[in-house]
Amino acid sequence: MRPQNLFHRPLTTQKCTLGCPILDRCVGGGIPCNSVTELVAESASGKTQFCLQLSLYAQLPTSHGGLSASSLYLHTEFPFPLRRLRQLSATFRTNNDHNPCDHIFVQSVHSVDQLLDEMPKIESLIKNSKSRLPIRLIVIDSIAALFRSDFENTPGDLKKRSSLFFKISGKLKAMAVGFGLAVVVTNQVVDLIEPNEGINGLRIGNLGCLYSSGRRVCPALGLAWANCVNSRLFLLRNEEFVSEENGTVNGGGEDFVCRRARRRLCVVFAPHLPDSSCEFEITREGVFGVER
Amino acid sequence: MEVSSLPISASQRGKLISAGYTSLSSLSSVSSSDLARGAHNAWDMLHEEESMTRITTSCADLDNILGGGINCKEVTEIGGVPGIGKTQLGIQLAVNVQIPLEFGGLGGKAIYIGNFMVERALQIAEACVEDMSEYNRFLRNDFQACQVKMQPTDILENIFYFRVCTYTEQIALINYLDKFMSEHKDVKIVIIDSITFHFRQDFDDMALRTRVLSGLALKLMKLAKDFSLAVVLLNQVTTKYTGGSFQLTLALGDSWSHSCTNRVILYWNGNERYAYIDKSPSLRSASASYSVTHRGIRNSTSNVKRVKMM
Repeated sequence: MRPQNLFHRPLTTQKCTLGCPILDRCVGGGIPCNSVTELVAESASGKTQFCLQLSLYAQLPTSHGGLSASSLYLHTEFPFPLRRLRQLSATFRTNNDHNPCDHIFVQSVHSVDQLLDEMPKIESLIKNSKSRLPIRLIVIDSIAALFRSDFENTPGDLKKRSSLFFKISGKLKAMAVGFGLAVVVTNQVVDLIEPNEGINGLRIGNLGCLYSSGRRVCPALGLAWANCVNSRLFLLRNEEFVSEENGTVNGGGEDFVCRRARRRLCVVFAPHLPDSSCEFEITREGVFGVER
Repeated sequence: MEVSSLPISASQRGKLISAGYTSLSSLSSVSSSDLARGAHNAWDMLHEEESMTRITTSCADLDNILGGGINCKEVTEIGGVPGIGKTQLGIQLAVNVQIPLEFGGLGGKAIYIGNFMVERALQIAEACVEDMSEYNRFLRNDFQACQVKMQPTDILENIFYFRVCTYTEQIALINYLDKFMSEHKDVKIVIIDSITFHFRQDFDDMALRTRVLSGLALKLMKLAKDFSLAVVLLNQVTTKYTGGSFQLTLALGDSWSHSCTNRVILYWNGNERYAYIDKSPSLRSASASYSVTHRGIRNSTSNVKRVKMM
């Protein structure tokens, strides 16, 4: 075994752009290679939107912040959002005339065992890729869906579950390091009912407690899984009622209110990032940061 | 009579034979003090301890409760929840061990086993070099001589960085360290980030895991003693199921907690990060706050009552 000389390695880790300079600034240039990044959020917060956008932007040449690479999208929630991907790819222009969807490989995963079975296949796919762009991004959307159904809340099952966490994450990390991949996994949240509910109420990371839609939440899969990821990003959404009276349009005098979701991306923990957050919006064209 | 046929335990027999005592006659002629060759008396050890070198954490409060920093010749375990700053502390120590002797450092090199982001190490190294220049200016009061020769990139070059992906690699690497160290005598700290991760997968036989881990711990302790370097192990936190409720504890089980000389636990207290000395033969248990800044580990700014002794 030989040590690596840090000096002879690039002084910054390669990152994959999120497709928006404001968001990139918040996360120090994008999703880092050689590590596992987790996106945590309740449903309809934009996890899948981020993942789709990321798998498109990974195809950009490195000079434009991409990885000039294909991506592998493992989805556990059905159906795969193909229509949205096509919509996003229509606005995503590369100077080549190929279809950006050609460089996104999609695989459905139904169970934890299947995911473990896929790992060696994925490895050989990456090694023997005939595609013009090598695979440098793996997305698992979502890891929580696999685990939340199959296990019961008994000590025995929880122990089995956490050893599977370490197994999966060990494989993902080894691949990330071995092939210089950026790995993104998404995770769901669970609600916290009691004010300080034991272990789940334990503070992890920069934010004392996570709030989304006015409820206190915490990432699913518990403490053991939190040890398995290198960085954790949290997407929160809060519905805001905007009264039209203050706006430009004034209706027929009725109290017409419209709802608008305000979304935020927060760094919960990351070895290379300070505590930071950034507001974002989801539009037809994709996910974009908002500066206020 | 041969030693190999004596009615003593196998490990004792092995030790005698490897020390060259094969027959009973060769053994009976030596006195017990000769046999205990290499033993120290407590007086010598006290002197040795006074001259023991320490590596600063860059946080004065933390150094205070640690008695000046992380001790060389000892194994220190640092544990805490994800995002509390274990890796940050690890990088800080890998940088600080290189502070030259004239600045009160060790001027040594570091071995880092694990995973970190180079840009973060560079940030901390840059801040460290800036601090040294600042210190130099105060100390010498001479603006001409305030150039620090060390460059941030030199600091990176002096960190030997190993990456392990499985526990077999980790075991092999720790066994190899002995040889590596005898070729690189200037290494003064070994940081393993984390000792835990690979041992929490693929180990169904917990008894085997305990044996392997205690073997590793012994090797690391020997390494610390032989090369008078600090060994820092970063550990994760897990929950322990006792009496129907879950409690937080450091991972790898109860028997592992005997394996380290010192144990420091990092935790959140409100919005502040705290370090607590959970186990140490020479330090009293105390806690101190610290913060993780852009420049690395530093004193906590908001805290007025700095150190709380317990």
